[in-house]
Amino acid sequence: MYDKEKQLAEDFVAKKIGRRDLIKGMSALGVTTALASTLVNAAATRALAQNGFNWRAHEGTTIKLLLNQHPYTDAMIANLENFKALTGMDVQYDVFPEDVYFDKVTAALSSRSSEYDAFMSGAYMTWTYGPAGWIDDLNEYIMDPSKTNPDYNWEDVLEGVRKSCAWNGRPGGALGSDDAMQWCIPLAYEQNNLTYNKRVFDANGLSVPTDLDSLVDTAAAAKTAMGDGYGIGVRGSRSWATIHPGFLSGYSNFGQSDLTVAGDGTLSAAMNTDVSRNFHSKWVEMIQNSGAPDWSTHTWYQVGTDVGAGKSAMMFDADILGYFMNGAGNAEAGNLAFSAFKANPDAAAPTPNIWIWAMAMSSFSTKKDATWYFLQWVTGPEHQLFGAQDMDLVNPARSSVWADEMFRNKLSASYSGYVDMHDVSAPGASIKFTAQPLFFDLTTEWAAMLQRMVAGEVPVDEGLDMLAESVNSQLAEAGLR
Amino acid sequence: MESTSLIERILRGIAITVVILFFMFPIFWIFLMSLQTNETILRVPPSMVFEPSLQNYRALITGQLETQTGTLEIRFMGNLFNSFFLSTTSVAIGLLLGVPAAYAFARLKFRGSEDIAFTLLSFRFAPPLLVLLPLTIYFQQIGLANTYGGLIWVYQLIVLPLILWIVRGYFEDIPADVEYAYRIAGHDFWATFRKIALPLAGPGIAAAGLLAFIFAWNNFIFALVLASADKQPVTVGALAFITASGIQYGQIAAGIILSIAPTFALALYAQRYLVEGLSLGAVKG
Amino acid sequence: MSDTSFNAPPRRRFKVSRKFLPYVLSLPALLTCIGILIPFFTAVWYSLQRYRLSQPWNRGFNWGENYLNFMTDDAFWNTLQVSLTYAFFAVTAQLLLGLGIALLLQKRTMFNNFVSIMLLMPLMTAPALAALMWKLMTNPGFGILSYLASLIGLEDFRWASDPQTAMLTVVIVDVWVYTPFIMILLLAGLRSLPKQPFEAAALDGVPRLFVFWRITLPMLTPFLLTATLFRVIESIQQFDIIYAMTQGGPGNTLTVFQVEAYLNFFQSTNVGRSAALLMILWAITYVLSNIFIKNWLRLREKQRGEA
Repeated sequence: MYDKEKQLAEDFVAKKIGRRDLIKGMSALGVTTALASTLVNAAATRALAQNGFNWRAHEGTTIKLLLNQHPYTDAMIANLENFKALTGMDVQYDVFPEDVYFDKVTAALSSRSSEYDAFMSGAYMTWTYGPAGWIDDLNEYIMDPSKTNPDYNWEDVLEGVRKSCAWNGRPGGALGSDDAMQWCIPLAYEQNNLTYNKRVFDANGLSVPTDLDSLVDTAAAAKTAMGDGYGIGVRGSRSWATIHPGFLSGYSNFGQSDLTVAGDGTLSAAMNTDVSRNFHSKWVEMIQNSGAPDWSTHTWYQVGTDVGAGKSAMMFDADILGYFMNGAGNAEAGNLAFSAFKANPDAAAPTPNIWIWAMAMSSFSTKKDATWYFLQWVTGPEHQLFGAQDMDLVNPARSSVWADEMFRNKLSASYSGYVDMHDVSAPGASIKFTAQPLFFDLTTEWAAMLQRMVAGEVPVDEGLDMLAESVNSQLAEAGLR
Repeated sequence: MESTSLIERILRGIAITVVILFFMFPIFWIFLMSLQTNETILRVPPSMVFEPSLQNYRALITGQLETQTGTLEIRFMGNLFNSFFLSTTSVAIGLLLGVPAAYAFARLKFRGSEDIAFTLLSFRFAPPLLVLLPLTIYFQQIGLANTYGGLIWVYQLIVLPLILWIVRGYFEDIPADVEYAYRIAGHDFWATFRKIALPLAGPGIAAAGLLAFIFAWNNFIFALVLASADKQPVTVGALAFITASGIQYGQIAAGIILSIAPTFALALYAQRYLVEGLSLGAVKG
Repeated sequence: MSDTSFNAPPRRRFKVSRKFLPYVLSLPALLTCIGILIPFFTAVWYSLQRYRLSQPWNRGFNWGENYLNFMTDDAFWNTLQVSLTYAFFAVTAQLLLGLGIALLLQKRTMFNNFVSIMLLMPLMTAPALAALMWKLMTNPGFGILSYLASLIGLEDFRWASDPQTAMLTVVIVDVWVYTPFIMILLLAGLRSLPKQPFEAAALDGVPRLFVFWRITLPMLTPFLLTATLFRVIESIQQFDIIYAMTQGGPGNTLTVFQVEAYLNFFQSTNVGRSAALLMILWAITYVLSNIFIKNWLRLREKQRGEA
């Protein structure tokens, strides 16, 4: 019924006509942009079907996914029909609220459930799931031409992100080493940078901070200028999630790390150095003077909601959180702007720590080859481009998508400074934690200590010594020191 | 007692007002929130002046949640159904198993009966996580994971001890002579149980069932750990409004109101039994 | 009196031996619950191991080491202390408040009955949802309670996000949810007390405070004890409210047993420690529930004697 439209879409995918011609042609035929993009993706899918790879090898198979409630999931579901059409497979899924999502994953995997064939994971979580024997090394699929379609283009996935998902399983082992297992494949990732309220900054003559000291000062100035509201949003709940965004990004920019790995592979705490003490003092002071009054309960949600509602002047957190909060429905929609942030004035470039939403394959799946078909499709260039252009699959993990003019224009049109920010900080973006099985214990304890410092219960110096001591004894207890 | 002075009456009036305020205000306020959009909720200072809107309820009932980044499908109605189904079935099964057992413990003293009854009640007080965490593994092995059946079984942990103990008390209160007379008249054991014991213990059974229903409805942790998304009750479902792309305060409020409404209605409708149930059968109204 | 029951049943339609009848009646219930014992023993077994899901190669029996480690583990003592503090404050507040309200509503009037039913509403609210409600009301931006606090001069009152007031906040939520339970139990108790002692005291012109201390309170003691024990057992196991409000924070101010065990299992995947923590909690509640059940039985006997 959409023959002409389909032809236009095919031509576009085959690069016979340009984007503008496509849109002109489509609108001449009375097609909405949304329908047009679905048609284009359907055409892309058909093109995919013709690359010589047997996409229908698992026709009739049903797989089940465990997914987190997230815009990435929305993008996946929106495009699912195309995957079904391509492969003749069926895909079922369970979506859980983020608050309980990982508990659910742990419950399913630790009970060795074969219910779910694949699931969304963060890279940090695979440091538990991998050694526990719950997920498969995906290298054996990626490297096998009989299982992976020729257009998959693994090298297209950004190196820092790709390697951050690979670990050899040895406590302290470098991420992405040659003997590493690919525990998961990135869907998209977040860098931690500054999102600031341009309206507030302009009205009060504030300039965008360029290092930690100016961040502390600007936050204080913003708080004074705003009256009610506060200067800077960072996370503060008693959880690993407090450590990994802005905090660790700034921390590692000063060349600091969480643990040191000795030559013999043993680990020890590294957060009580002088540089670290200095960083902690400034961070704590910043929260005390210009952070949220209820900082210690702030998670992703509150940090984002407040900057979107104009209650905070800026946040040092995930860039994509700023992206969401700049959308319709927020009081400050369109007022948010983005800037790469380098905490250390002497550093050459920003080194954001990153969070990766990735797909992992359950070791208990009984349909692994079929599941791999889904994984290579959902992490492949076509779906990523669709997600980035038409849905909110930001930041896509593939360089080909970042090179796409349409995607870049979409970002630049409504997200001031976003593309530049990404281009500046992406080369230094990777996971800055030491991969080891006590990740969640140690980061939760770190966050709890940070809370005590901010509450004034412990001085920073003393707190860091206590933390280091406790970390060392836990490492020793687990046989890692 | 009759000679209450004016001052005392005023003081009493103030005290009761404060008490009512403390206990009722949160529900009232959340109800107001449920009629507002995020925009009016986020006003500072909070205000009671707003244009009421049913859009939050509409979103929950139609399952279309409007967020900053688009429309999100939610299955709050499905959660509500699960709560109904799980609580009702659990209580029904709990009564089916618990009432005969309660009768046995009350009437037919047998070897070990006190110990068994005691053990059963003490299950009510075991830390739920202690049982739940290993249970995930066993449920997987015997195929009960992600099934209503498995959940209903675990719900017996809260439901059954309550029923057993409350109903047992009521059976013990029935004078044995009444039943004895009926049996002398030529009726067998089962007929006596059905025609005499059950009706006489009726209020106790209703009280126990009601209380068990409320405990089952309010449970949060069992389904969360043991079941897949399509079997979650409202207590877990209400968390779904906290999304990566923002918190939908109005919908959280509406979700809370919708999920407490059934237990409220039940409490109002069957208040007498509720009061008896809450005193664990120790005091009969 | 109930033992004289059925010694000579006249006619039997289908034969279940007298000896087995009670077992036939109670077995289904017993079997249903006994299934619970298997995971219980599994947990005991886990608690005796060094067992962390992320380090399967390290797994092995260390016998009592998980328990021994608690002796020198500050986090454990903190958990114990926080759990007991929480239970103490929550139950004490509920008891005083519940008793006060029960006394206020003691007279059987239409109004009092109506109020007592309305006051049950918080108890009908799932604790997890109640925590969510209070979280909305204590939000520093738009929360009505934060606003009211600022009106009475508490400008920067931070509720659950300040370690100084976090315990207070969750205790208030617990009090909000569970005071009605104590209130209704005590109200039922008050109304079931015999009238004569009070009438006699009134005739003699005994001061009412004296009546309260010397007659009401002693006669109410079994009810008070029952309510207290029941609530202590439950509040020492509190999970929903605390987890939903702060996940145990800020700092380590609210890491009660079940929250700590949950985080140990799901985040650190330290199964051994998690199980050992829960075993200690179980031991505490087992002792308490023994006392509770005995007391409750006595109370019921007494009530029946007077009825």
